[in-house]
Amino acid sequence: MSPVFPMLTVLTMFYYLCLRRRARTAARGEMTNSHRTIESNSRTSPLNAEVVQYAKEVVDFSSHYGSENSMSYTMWNLAGVPNVFPSSGDFTQTAVFRTYGTWWDQCPSASLPFKRTPPDFQSQDYVELTFEQQVYPTAVHVLETYHPGAVIRILACSANPYSPSPPAEVSRWEILWSERPTKVNASQARQFKPCIKQINFPTNLIRLEVNSSLLDYYTELDAVVLHGMKDKPLLSLKTSLIDMNDLEEDDYEEKDGCGMDNLNKKLSSTALGEGPNNGYFDKLPYELIQLILNHLTLPDLCRLAQTCKLLNQHCYDPLQYIHLNLQPYWAKLNDTSLEFLQTRCTLVQWLNLSWTGNRGFISVAGFSRFLKVCGSELVRLELSCSHFLNETCLEIISETCPDLQELNLSSCDKLPAQAFNHIAKLCGLKRLVLYRTKVEQTALLSILNFCSELQHLSLGSCVMIEDYDVIASMIGAKCKKLRTLDLWRCKNITENGIAELASGCPLLEELDLGWCPTLQSSTGCFAKLARQLPNLQKLFLTANRSVCDTDIEELACNCTRLRQLDILGTRMVSPGSLRKLLESCKDLSLLDVSFCSQIDNRAVLEFNGSFPKVFIKKSFTQ
Amino acid sequence: MFSVLSYGRLVARAVLGGLSQTDPRAGGGGGGGDYGLVTAGCGFGKDFRKGLLKKGACYGDDACFVARHRSADVLGVADGVGGWRDYGVDPSQFSGTLMRTCERLVKEGRFVPSNPIGILTTSYCELLQNKVPLLGSSTACIVVLDRTSHRLHTANLGDSGFLVVRGGEVVHRSDEQQHYFNTPFQLSIAPPEAEGVVLSDSPDAADSTSFDVQLGDIILTATDGLFDNMPDYMILQELKKLKNSNYESIQQTARSIAEQAHELAYDPNYMSPFAQFACDNGLNVRGGKPDDITVLLSIVAEYTD
Repeated sequence: MSPVFPMLTVLTMFYYLCLRRRARTAARGEMTNSHRTIESNSRTSPLNAEVVQYAKEVVDFSSHYGSENSMSYTMWNLAGVPNVFPSSGDFTQTAVFRTYGTWWDQCPSASLPFKRTPPDFQSQDYVELTFEQQVYPTAVHVLETYHPGAVIRILACSANPYSPSPPAEVSRWEILWSERPTKVNASQARQFKPCIKQINFPTNLIRLEVNSSLLDYYTELDAVVLHGMKDKPLLSLKTSLIDMNDLEEDDYEEKDGCGMDNLNKKLSSTALGEGPNNGYFDKLPYELIQLILNHLTLPDLCRLAQTCKLLNQHCYDPLQYIHLNLQPYWAKLNDTSLEFLQTRCTLVQWLNLSWTGNRGFISVAGFSRFLKVCGSELVRLELSCSHFLNETCLEIISETCPDLQELNLSSCDKLPAQAFNHIAKLCGLKRLVLYRTKVEQTALLSILNFCSELQHLSLGSCVMIEDYDVIASMIGAKCKKLRTLDLWRCKNITENGIAELASGCPLLEELDLGWCPTLQSSTGCFAKLARQLPNLQKLFLTANRSVCDTDIEELACNCTRLRQLDILGTRMVSPGSLRKLLESCKDLSLLDVSFCSQIDNRAVLEFNGSFPKVFIKKSFTQ
Repeated sequence: MFSVLSYGRLVARAVLGGLSQTDPRAGGGGGGGDYGLVTAGCGFGKDFRKGLLKKGACYGDDACFVARHRSADVLGVADGVGGWRDYGVDPSQFSGTLMRTCERLVKEGRFVPSNPIGILTTSYCELLQNKVPLLGSSTACIVVLDRTSHRLHTANLGDSGFLVVRGGEVVHRSDEQQHYFNTPFQLSIAPPEAEGVVLSDSPDAADSTSFDVQLGDIILTATDGLFDNMPDYMILQELKKLKNSNYESIQQTARSIAEQAHELAYDPNYMSPFAQFACDNGLNVRGGKPDDITVLLSIVAEYTD
């Protein structure tokens, strides 16, 4: 044939390919503008541009101040472009966690901390964000608009939540930056730019862990910015080598890459040969060595078990595992780890599996197996944010842990409603936390009916309950020993429910009625509350706009043991009645009068002068 | 010969494929593409403050917003009820916060284009979630253009409203909602001691309508400061001067409408629609009605990014 045809073919193919490519880029032109590409002018190849992204979505978090389905003070505000920054102040468009300071550790509902928590694990809350594109991160900036300084750890995950196919390898978390909580003196907005470590995998899933204990008020975050490179920068190989030798921090989590295998290797039994005698260790009484080992954290205990037969025996003694806190190791704990721990944990009484097991790390079968072996002595079980839980797990808990006294299912919002039916079988329950779960009315009534030993109950943000007055009257009838009750954001409780509560539970020391708009002071419910609950130490009436001087005076008269009071947002309380309260309640240490229009800054200054032991909080928007 | 045909087919496919893929957004013909609103606004507060509208602003006690989302263009006006001033409450705070919250809702996509009452309801609930104790009341009118279905969805609570003008004639208009004279339906947040006494309508009481729009339709959304001072024929006269759909000419027309209404409001001899209505109800009055005026003028056009 003539040479025209091959040339025509080549030209046609070329033309076709060019058009297909143009068409593909044209279809992607509809990108949202939360995302832009900067051409870096370094000597790297022009294709390796730096990508700057705002968060696309908030996928998980442990708590927030706002209401479910709202956009005020909720964690979902952390996604997208900033709304408030660089302004400072208390704005609705920011992401706010539920707690701050040490106030929640000082109130009657505070639970005892687990011993043997590694000193560098101080995280109290977390939030996980996804970004559109996977990049090798070069920087993570957090825009904080109020009381900055809470972020203490930033992690990146290798899993891509948006990939249609399941991941090729097990996903892993790597710490990009971590530091102890430090006090930041200003309450002004700042762009927090910590120096992050380079990692050798691309990521679009970032996790922030916070600790608010040093803060004067709620921290508020506006946005998170992820800077990264699309292609692997050449430096990364070098830094990962350095990391292997980096023993500065006595935390094996830093040396990762094979972190999970590391942990599992430590946990698995190793064969030890016969060696020489153990010297003085043979002379020390068994209990004394046990007492010494009690001070070691779990990884150290596992490392020590590999040294000699005697210490191996000590480290495997179930008495070392009576209180087991696995929350600090959430990033690595999986079914295999539980299996290795099983043999030594038969006597465990306190078990903390909060934050663990997500993204397929722990399966229902693995958890069930562990619990069947180790659950019979369990007294306290912490399962906050454990999203692997399902109804079967709750059933197994109710069957294998008959003596359970404390159960924490905080923020397990994926648990189906019928799972909560099984909790009623745990008749010895003294503490139950159902914050932000989907528990329904019938299940809760059943729990209240059978768990008459309840002393601490948290129903904060339980949105599926239809009628809180019915719940309150059940509590008043059945839970006579109740000492603390959290009804934060319980939308429809009225004075009838409060009346039944106050008359039925005279031992109440703590009552959180924050953001319950259906309570009206004019019905006298707060006055009645004050008169019938003389043991009240903590009372939150946040954003109840009807709280008035009479209520404050009743509290001053009757609740002299009051330590914490929040009356944010009422226009009807004057400095006069507050003065009476401050004079009468000598133990008062927290008084939140934010957005109380009659209490201005001058009044607060005066009070600070006369009552120096009281922390008076007055938040502001601008 | 066989190869000639296959080459020919290849060429044809490449050429035709290229033609149809070069510009996917041109739309497959006249009404096939997405629609958008080109909006400009102007307003005057009662105390002679002039204002040029950018995106969201307050004119006296009135407030408005204009927001874009991938699926819809949304705008709204709210008329703060001035009576709160006598009780020490700034009426513009409620209307302004309501409009800003609606704007934020739209930008974050927390709405359904065919349910503008939902925007009002959600926005009103969000106002109650604010730590700051908001007080006040306002009317509200929300207009949503669904880009792909070419339908306009509206919700109106109170005496603000909108007009849709096509070919020099009014083809759709909102109805005023009044409890009694000069007391429109209103969303409100009252102090707890006055809960039963203060007029407070639910967002569900809003009137909702949906209809198709065409390219070139003019939508005028305004508070009662405009409609009480300018009758339809005057508004239509001004709108006739609108020649094209670019931002500057819309801006100019909006301004001239607002200015004219503002002048008429202070004319003591002019028989304004407000005065006419009062006369019909037995009150012998004449002249314009001094009030905050907010005008948002939009044209339905092809959507460009």
